[in-house]
Amino acid sequence: MIIVTTGTMLPFDRLVRAMDEWVAHHPHEQAFAQIGNGAYEPRHMEWVRFLAPSEFTRQVKRSALIVAHAGTGSFFLAAETCKPLVMLPRLAANGEHTTDHQVHTARWLCDKPGVYIAMTERELPVAIAKARVGDPVASQRTAYAPEEFLQRIRRCLVDPELPPIPGKARKGSR
Amino acid sequence: MLAIASGGGHWLEMQRLYPAFENLDVAFVSVHPAYAEQVPNHRFYVVRDVTRWDRWGLIVLAAQLIRIIWIERPTTVITTGSAPGLFALAIAKLMRRARTIWIDSIANCEQLSSSGRRARYVADVWLTQWPEVERPEGPAYWGAVL
Repeated sequence: MIIVTTGTMLPFDRLVRAMDEWVAHHPHEQAFAQIGNGAYEPRHMEWVRFLAPSEFTRQVKRSALIVAHAGTGSFFLAAETCKPLVMLPRLAANGEHTTDHQVHTARWLCDKPGVYIAMTERELPVAIAKARVGDPVASQRTAYAPEEFLQRIRRCLVDPELPPIPGKARKGSR
Repeated sequence: MLAIASGGGHWLEMQRLYPAFENLDVAFVSVHPAYAEQVPNHRFYVVRDVTRWDRWGLIVLAAQLIRIIWIERPTTVITTGSAPGLFALAIAKLMRRARTIWIDSIANCEQLSSSGRRARYVADVWLTQWPEVERPEGPAYWGAVL
């Protein structure tokens, strides 16, 4: 099974439609899509608008491959579940996001093992074919940020002397 | 303190910072009620998921955040973006003179996000996760969640 996800914030009909057509042309394939508030409703694959993280992760674990927008959440998910990941970046010019940062994310992740980028929907079938036979995304060593970064953030949270404008004394905490 | 992140990657990046919050009194804020299951031992609030395109949504969001900050009275607010995080820093700064920390999402690897650029005016600690995006006048680079 292939998992398709657009993230849940903005619609990404271009991806959902392309994958619906792909499944129509590959009748032996099964796909399941999380489409957020997209207008296009798939006809050839099962779909939902939103799944809770735990349920979504369960679905992904049962799948062979993730096809997603180029959101970092999808990359973290693929790393957590060790699945190959095909990504299609949203474009600001199409009104798919506020900026082109997903193109930047795609450029950043394209060298990572297990990540297969399609810059346009026409490149999706080739990216899926590569992902089918390629490596999965490497699992992250830990679920957390590197220790050094955590320590710096921690210091900033607990040390009242740090940065300007310390908060006023906390009145009546709940 | 208050930890606020919008959905998807923003929320997962906040999860990766979790060990830094150990033994602190943290309330989390995000955009999907289902996310509460990932922070079971904390207070959790839901706010409206908005982009800067959604004017009415921004008004609703601001009202929700004012209420949350009124209830929680945070001394520190930390966010990994996006627009809801920017609003939370600004409102907490105005209402509480809270210490504010902006961590621009790791997705913004070539330039700061639009909320991130605006965050410089309301963030005491203003961070990017990419050394290439760091500037002498800010944002600073301290590391990344990955």
